[in-house]
Amino acid sequence: MPTLRSLVPVLVAAALYAGLAAIVTNSYYQLTLTLVLVWAIFGLSWNLLSGYTGLVSFGHAAFFGLGAYTTALGQIYLDLSPWLLIPAGAVIGCLAGLVVGIPTFRLRGHYFALAMLAYPLAMLYVFEWLGFQEVTLPIKRESPFAYMQFSDPRLYTLVALAMLVAVVVITRAIEGTRFGMALLAIKQNEAAAEAAGIDTLSWKLRAIALSGAIAGAVGAFYAVVLLVVTPPSVFGMLVSAQALTVSMFGGVGTVWGPLIGAAVLIPVSEILHAELGARIPGIQGVIFGLAIMAVILLAPEGVYWRVRDRLRQRRAGSPVTDNRPAAVEASVVSFAAPPLPARERRRTGAVLLSVRGLSKSFGGLKAVQNVSFDVHEGMILGIIGPNGAGKTTLFNLLNGFLRPDAGQVIVDGRDRVGERPHQLARAGIGRTFQVMRPFLRMSVRDNVRVGAYLRAASEEEARRLADEAVDRVGLRGAADRIAGQLTTKELRLMELARALAGQPRLLLLDETLAGLGHGEADEVVAVIRRLAETGITIVIIEHTMQAMVRLVDHFLVLDHGAVLMDGEPERVTRDPQVIEAYLGKKWVAHAHA
Amino acid sequence: MTGTISSLTRRGFVGGSAALGLSTVARAQAPAVKVGLIVPLSGLYARPGAVMRMGAELGVADVNAAGGIKALGGAKLELVALDCGDTVEKAKNAAQRMVAQETDLVAATGAYLSSFTLAVSEVTERAALPLLTLSYSDLLTDRGFRYIFQTAATAAAQSALGLPELMKLAEAASGKRPRTVAIAMDNTGTSVATAKALKEKLFPQLDLKLVMDEVWTPPLSDATPLIQKVRSTRPDLFLFMPNAVADAKLGLEKMNEFGLGQGRVPTISFSITIAEPDMLQSVSPDVVQGIMTIVANWGVKGQERLIADVKAKYGEPWATQNIVSTYGDMWLIKDALEKAGRADRAAVADALRTGDFGPSRYYPGGRLQFDEKGRRIGAGVVIVQWQKGVPVAVFPDDLALAPPFWPKR
Repeated sequence: MPTLRSLVPVLVAAALYAGLAAIVTNSYYQLTLTLVLVWAIFGLSWNLLSGYTGLVSFGHAAFFGLGAYTTALGQIYLDLSPWLLIPAGAVIGCLAGLVVGIPTFRLRGHYFALAMLAYPLAMLYVFEWLGFQEVTLPIKRESPFAYMQFSDPRLYTLVALAMLVAVVVITRAIEGTRFGMALLAIKQNEAAAEAAGIDTLSWKLRAIALSGAIAGAVGAFYAVVLLVVTPPSVFGMLVSAQALTVSMFGGVGTVWGPLIGAAVLIPVSEILHAELGARIPGIQGVIFGLAIMAVILLAPEGVYWRVRDRLRQRRAGSPVTDNRPAAVEASVVSFAAPPLPARERRRTGAVLLSVRGLSKSFGGLKAVQNVSFDVHEGMILGIIGPNGAGKTTLFNLLNGFLRPDAGQVIVDGRDRVGERPHQLARAGIGRTFQVMRPFLRMSVRDNVRVGAYLRAASEEEARRLADEAVDRVGLRGAADRIAGQLTTKELRLMELARALAGQPRLLLLDETLAGLGHGEADEVVAVIRRLAETGITIVIIEHTMQAMVRLVDHFLVLDHGAVLMDGEPERVTRDPQVIEAYLGKKWVAHAHA
Repeated sequence: MTGTISSLTRRGFVGGSAALGLSTVARAQAPAVKVGLIVPLSGLYARPGAVMRMGAELGVADVNAAGGIKALGGAKLELVALDCGDTVEKAKNAAQRMVAQETDLVAATGAYLSSFTLAVSEVTERAALPLLTLSYSDLLTDRGFRYIFQTAATAAAQSALGLPELMKLAEAASGKRPRTVAIAMDNTGTSVATAKALKEKLFPQLDLKLVMDEVWTPPLSDATPLIQKVRSTRPDLFLFMPNAVADAKLGLEKMNEFGLGQGRVPTISFSITIAEPDMLQSVSPDVVQGIMTIVANWGVKGQERLIADVKAKYGEPWATQNIVSTYGDMWLIKDALEKAGRADRAAVADALRTGDFGPSRYYPGGRLQFDEKGRRIGAGVVIVQWQKGVPVAVFPDDLALAPPFWPKR
């Protein structure tokens, strides 16, 4: 839940706005004040889905328009009051969100965006076909207040302001909790989010339902303000675009973005229209367009992020930040002792993961062929092989991204083939990725917290698990830094911590040492070894042989998708065939020495 | 401070001089009376909006040239133009701006598209500002509003007025009463409303059999299936109802291509789209020859001077309903001001509601008088026919600039 403190800036802004609205007696300025809020709320609704999940919706007008027609038709045919119809619009928007989301979330990226574009356009024609080209809310001369037909236009602004504050509180509540974290995780890397135990489809559906509900409610209110509803005015392309424009101008993925965007763009557009529209018709559009282009060139991620980054940079000059890297070094140094003591090899615990006859083909390419191996509790298994040997495909089969054509993946005696990644994560299989996808604007602590929700029942527990995980990888000194400022090594450790925060029993590490310098790799290796000491079973894919030999208990060598060899590091590294084919001449000489 | 004092003094002087019988001085200094024009001047509908502005400017100039408002000491009219843009929201904003910032308007006219007029009238109604409109959606005057005055026949009435006349014309010219009718229309509000009235009431009344009923969503991408169907059904009347010049051009050229043009199948439209000057930029005069359309207003007999002024001043080849009606609105506002005797919107509204300003001059048929809904009593239509590259009024007889011809098969 958002603390009262985190809401103070919003409440202060709302109070100032209400004060401004109270002073303004000119009904035209008052209307602009109302419309700023309407588009801010609509922007927030868009932001809730697209800003946080990164799934761009070009079709938010579908929900907005349904809300608007709920008010118009509900009042015309059922004589209901907008006081009831605005909540009804929210319910309809919510249901529409689910109906749209279930099929459309099968698509990703541009395909999702384009599919969303189709919904409002289809609705536009449906409502025209139904004969609702022009509907007006009947004038209520007897009981205007009961039908939200205020004679004092300030009341519209106040109603809109109340809605806006409610939406901001909801957004903030989401931002800080596992809901918001799940959405951000989806935005950064949907696959990684699934692997971290997040049921992405279910969170996305919750997001679109809530987003649809907000859009429906504000659409319903918009009809009350405009009093006339036509399909182009509520389902049109420009309506969907308005949500994108205000959010992108102000800043995507923050509650302030749409607020800033609407507060600047709506009045500017209206002033330009009022001042120039009758004199040089059309020029207002040109100026407005140029202004938006200029802002996007100067602040591509939106005004909010630009200003925030500026402020951070200025603050970065203070001595506190200067001390930080030193603190990090100090915390990592203890692991950096290069001569690693030999590790006691384990291959005795109970079998945690048993892979039997696993195969996967992509067309004619047999990526993984009949692979079988066992992973015992507490051991470190290294999987090696040249590029294209099928290592990552094997991982994808193990944690549910891919479905094998044949074979079994037995965890704790139960075949898990066919389960989705988040379900396997719940069963205790954690994973990191070859390509790192940190949440760059979030702190290390928050990055790690995303992984903690897998096990945490409460926010507090999530924080505790995250802190523990940060400690275990030795990043405590860097916990409050922004991920974007970390080195590759620190990012690798952070990814490890994120996987650890979910308290996995089995950790799949995909090229964790890739891109690290020699000394850095040793530090990370030390951390991995410490994790193994604490009882976590580890399977690691790697190219970096030197570090691997000292790290793993057992090697699995893959070639062309099949197991070439399965054995102790000493045996594998001395096998001339393996050395020749996968490790290079240098190691052949080493073996014969 | 000085400003206030001097203006007080001046007002005192004017009042005093009027009392002394120096009425000519007072008349020369009577403050201008402001009239609003709220039409689309930018965006998709900028062109018809600009044409309406021409009509309003000519109207104001002519009223002022004829001595202004005599009841107000010869006060001049002054036009305040507002751009209502191309969306309902912009129209609502512009209307709100009009009532909030142009507080001394006595009346306004607008706003071209009926959706915009609906939004604008919601504002003007609450501000008690009389609004004249050429928009003919029935809904405009079905809401129980008291400050809207619809000068044109409503959509439903237009077809009811126009179609029987067309039937008579057809019978007189070809000796045969039309029996079958085909409709091809876009799905815009106006077309849908017109078609509903036709199908539910007029066709049964006139004993017309509907042999084809096709609807498209603009823009029309290919007219071939439509026109093929016209060819196979061979209707006695073909009601072709586009609202975009591009759609009209596509349909008419396809008819010519199929050998149905030049009146082989008598073609009738229900909007001014097909008679806009823009048409000639995309089709040749032969393609449109003989095509008729039923419109709310047009430059007719007796308005030769207006038509000439429009041509001379703005280069418009003929006066469409947008020019003539908006021009007429200025004269109607003048009449209302004369009756009200005050430059006050409430008085002007009252004058419009209760007054009878005689037979209509710039709107076809009926009187300059409104019923309790705000509809002009006896509002009629004009039937326009393309003749040698110009759409001329051919009905009613007293307004016709040329006799109609019924295309021979």
